[in-house]
Amino acid sequence: MNTERRTLIGLLALLCAAAVTEARIKLVALPERAATVIRLDNPNATLIEEERVLTLQKGLNKVDFSWKGVQIDEDSIRLQMLDHPAEVTLLSVSYPPGEAALVWEINSAGDFAEKVRISYLLRNIDRLITYKAVANKPETLVDLKSYLILRNFSGEDFAKARVLLDYGAAFEQGINHEETKQMLFVNEPNVPIRKVWKFDAALLPWDPEQLNNQNVGIPVSYEIANNQKAGLGEFALWGGKARLFQQDGHGGTIFLGEDNAALVPVGEKMELYIGDSRDIVVTQRKMRDAQVNLRKNNSGQVVLYDTDELITAKIENFKDSPAVLTMVQHIPGQWDMEQCNFKYTKKDAYTLQFEIELPARTEKGPAVKELTMHYHRRNVRSDAPPAPGSPPMPLGRR
Amino acid sequence: MKCLFVSLLVLSVVSGAYGKVDLVTLPARDTVQLTIYNSADMTLARESRALTLKEGENALQFSWENTLIDPTSLEMAPRSDAGGIDIAELVYPPRVKNLGVWNVRSAAGGKVPVEISYLTSGLSWRAFYMGTLTHDEKTMRLQAYVRVTNKSGEDYENAQVRLIVGKVHLLDEIAALARREYPYGRPERGVTVEAMHFDGDAKKEIRRMDRLALAAPAAPTAAFEGPKQIVKEGLSEYFLYTIEGTETIPNGWSKRLLSFDIDAVPVVNLYKFEHERYGASVVRFLSFKNDQEHKLGKTPIPGGTLKVYRAADAQEHLSYTGQSSFKYIPVDEDVELSLGHVSDIVVEPKLMEYRTDNYRFDPRRNISGWDEIQVLEVTAKNTRDIPVKVEIRRNFPTTYWTLQRSGQVEEFEKVDQDTVKFSLLLQPRSERRFQYTLTTYNGVRTEDWTRLSQ
Repeated sequence: MNTERRTLIGLLALLCAAAVTEARIKLVALPERAATVIRLDNPNATLIEEERVLTLQKGLNKVDFSWKGVQIDEDSIRLQMLDHPAEVTLLSVSYPPGEAALVWEINSAGDFAEKVRISYLLRNIDRLITYKAVANKPETLVDLKSYLILRNFSGEDFAKARVLLDYGAAFEQGINHEETKQMLFVNEPNVPIRKVWKFDAALLPWDPEQLNNQNVGIPVSYEIANNQKAGLGEFALWGGKARLFQQDGHGGTIFLGEDNAALVPVGEKMELYIGDSRDIVVTQRKMRDAQVNLRKNNSGQVVLYDTDELITAKIENFKDSPAVLTMVQHIPGQWDMEQCNFKYTKKDAYTLQFEIELPARTEKGPAVKELTMHYHRRNVRSDAPPAPGSPPMPLGRR
Repeated sequence: MKCLFVSLLVLSVVSGAYGKVDLVTLPARDTVQLTIYNSADMTLARESRALTLKEGENALQFSWENTLIDPTSLEMAPRSDAGGIDIAELVYPPRVKNLGVWNVRSAAGGKVPVEISYLTSGLSWRAFYMGTLTHDEKTMRLQAYVRVTNKSGEDYENAQVRLIVGKVHLLDEIAALARREYPYGRPERGVTVEAMHFDGDAKKEIRRMDRLALAAPAAPTAAFEGPKQIVKEGLSEYFLYTIEGTETIPNGWSKRLLSFDIDAVPVVNLYKFEHERYGASVVRFLSFKNDQEHKLGKTPIPGGTLKVYRAADAQEHLSYTGQSSFKYIPVDEDVELSLGHVSDIVVEPKLMEYRTDNYRFDPRRNISGWDEIQVLEVTAKNTRDIPVKVEIRRNFPTTYWTLQRSGQVEEFEKVDQDTVKFSLLLQPRSERRFQYTLTTYNGVRTEDWTRLSQ
């Protein structure tokens, strides 16, 4: 066993002579640590609370709190009197030079065995959350498990502590220095999921034919709603690595993919990107881009014009199951749609979103839908910068 | 089995001191299933073992030294028929490398079947193909193979092997996770990888394996029962290939397995000309479709390299035509396999006439608009003794254009705003000639084009 790392968050009650001398006198009696709480509700810092009993004498007392081999944020250290808060007063805190320590100056109205709570932020102890979801074969439900991973590299052994998250009941858990523990803490079967395929015309190539022997994968993600209907919704789901599996119909599973889940507040959706589909193919082309409604200056130069643009997108579903493709299109600046053969919602001034229902492939071949967008950009100035917040020209354009 | 990888010791708990163990049993694995991915260096391994547990608290120790498994992926689950088992936690004890302890509560003592699954790296597979064209090049025998390679450091005996076709999203490489000093890293400092150390060892290991491979006898083969079947099925966005029976793939070995063998897939000899993309010469493609008409279409075809041969004579001698790598092909999609540049099919576009016309002038009598008219003659020659299909693409520098064709050509297809495609069928040893007139509109003449084309 490594003895070097034995650390100590030690507490010395100092005998306090009325006549304070320069040298601090450290008392040998080390108060035993009583109840310890490891509070992990803040993802950025871990708060330790420990209770100890200080033997105080009437008058001025000096108590030395020191540590070794651990990293404590000095400014975070707090002292709270639990038995006689009105009679025991913390007068000052001083930091001796070159030491990982501080000295509390406490005034006590009587001789007390005072129970105090010391709290501080301790570094290198934290928790991670991971998720494991196993989808059923039709990909409508998942068995969702979440694990809490406690990692203690703080330098301190915690033989027994109450561990608190930001929700749920506290639990007793000991964890030693350099130890990692994985515990199951959410186990929710049959959580509904929605599978989403998404083609964003600003992110993906338009014409797969132009790519030499590369598939254009359509990103696939799952959505899990953090609400009661899904059997969840009691608390925010913390962010962490999520691994998705699927039942294979033969008693086993396959691995579908993994993603980092962001923190999901109650009522919001967790979106997990798991991989790309190569069985849905989008071929988008610009069939027309002409300037119309030209307005010229006295020199005959065009200063203002509209455009006449036609975009087609062929969507083929080679899958033997139906799918709903979310298609995102971007039109910068001021524009109006002359004709569009699919319904869309405007996500913002320049972004159109389509939900395109694709039936399954049949014996005759893939299910094919063709989107046509005939639109005009209005009042484009020959010399002007693009409208505020306009997206850059799509990448897919040759 | 060379290395003892998830070695399981069932311990009775001795107040957290893992050194003082009371060894109960060391079970061997009963079955193992490997699901190998090809888009990432990753395999999902699932094995079943029968543990002997005692009533109450049990500690199961396992270690993964010298393997490439991701310790964070380890999971143990009692088989559905085993009740009363509660897996309380998984502990990675301090100051011990490559070791974990499962704390398990059991309602009763006795044998408990469990399943242990984990992700590992070091196993891989790829698809490759052999095509043999008939003499008339109308059909091709297509043989598809998969090659499974085991460099995982572990001998897998009698494993059920499954292969996954598809692109999976991973945040971390499994091999990197396997090399972590601590399974989940440590706070703040992030993940410490003992990279230098490991690389050295890994190289040594590989060298050692090579020697072993050379000296070892041939890999065991099953009694001849004909080639194994591969069962194919779709799951989510993936395709799952399950190889019939079980396979033994010792560490360092690979194995080639036949995926399918289709005798006469009808193919089209397609030749493409697109100056901007391929230059002045024609590129040859073999074209077919992954559908029933072409005796395929049951499953997608995973991407890989195809080597194409041609029957050279009646004695079934072969001539090597070329090779092409191709992408994943969904069912019902067209396949075009590029076999490279050729000189036996020639496409030559020639500018025969150039003029300008329809000048427009601004009030100061400067030129404000004009048309350019180009007449091109395209000659397409087939010097081969088989019929071929030729696709000619022309790209224009503007979107304001009109085109008229004449001669031996069908109507062109407008591909997009500035590209057209001509398709020709050329008989053996024949030549076709056609003309097109391209008019491009410049300056204010684009306004006339817009008016006319609306």
